Amino acid sequence: MQKVVWPLMAVALLAGCSDEEFRTTDIEEIMPPLAFSLTNDDGEPARAEEYLGKTTLVYFGYTQCPDVCPLTLARFASIFDELDDEERDDVQMLLISVDPNRDTPEVLKRYTDAFGPEFTGLTGDKEEIDALTNRYRIAYSFEEPNERGDYIVNHSSAVFAFNDEGQPRFLVRDPHSNQDVLADLRRVIDEG
Amino acid sequence: MANVLSKTTRTLVSALFGAAVLLGAASAQASDINVSNARLSLLPGDTPGAGYFELENAGDEAVMLTGADTEAFEAVEMHESSEHEGMAHMHSVENVEIEAGDTFSFAPRGHHLMFMERVAPLAVGDSVEVTLEFDGETLPVTFEVVSPTSL
Repeated sequence: MQKVVWPLMAVALLAGCSDEEFRTTDIEEIMPPLAFSLTNDDGEPARAEEYLGKTTLVYFGYTQCPDVCPLTLARFASIFDELDDEERDDVQMLLISVDPNRDTPEVLKRYTDAFGPEFTGLTGDKEEIDALTNRYRIAYSFEEPNERGDYIVNHSSAVFAFNDEGQPRFLVRDPHSNQDVLADLRRVIDEG
Repeated sequence: MANVLSKTTRTLVSALFGAAVLLGAASAQASDINVSNARLSLLPGDTPGAGYFELENAGDEAVMLTGADTEAFEAVEMHESSEHEGMAHMHSVENVEIEAGDTFSFAPRGHHLMFMERVAPLAVGDSVEVTLEFDGETLPVTFEVVSPTSL
């Protein structure tokens, strides 16, 4: 038994000392730093620099989405509940709307407030949003409106994590476990 | 003559029997469907809510869920979320067939009811009466209003 355990511990120690890998998807080398020029949920101009200083999670969605978007935000609300007060002060989540026609700052504010003080909504005109979705190489598309004028928006399901300097760190997809997300989140908070 | 009569009687009997079977099957439907864990995930303002539940078909025949209605919202649609290559998709669903003996879940990130434009304010803990529609039959179900953070 001991013969098996010691080499494993040695490997774990070596991995721990140098460059520990993220349990979710590492994006340090493949994504650019956080940068945007949008409108915040008070209707004021919002630039990425104003959001530095905290570990920042970024999700692209829309409020007329009853299932996946609220579930994703609720999932992160429950992960934030696992953090202690100090860690919690160092984290924020930005919902960037890809549906600015319906998601006015007022709508976004009411929506994100329902998930907790860590959540902020951002919107912008199509060019500003496209600049950002192109930067992070994600797509979104609109379905044809129904007879009521409602339409579905297909959007990226990923959540991007940046450190307190806006440097890209990891990316969360649906299959990643909450425990893995929490471990990676703590690691990035500890960097700051 | 006797022969003709008996043939008529047989036809009549089998027609009546057939009708009875049809009626029996139809009336057995709604009572053989068990719905449990019905929740309505409430979001603020005019943003739409989602309905989740488990539906068990305890009958001997397949049933077809064709829609839902409620007085609490202007419109209800059946939708399905899916994920493909990192993209979250949603599309509307016309009907869902549940085979005899099967259970079908309307669950987070899958099938759900989409409740649009609430008629009156709602709060977590309220109940909403929803009518599920099965091929002309209806089944009343009480949904509990919950927060999306509780799912």
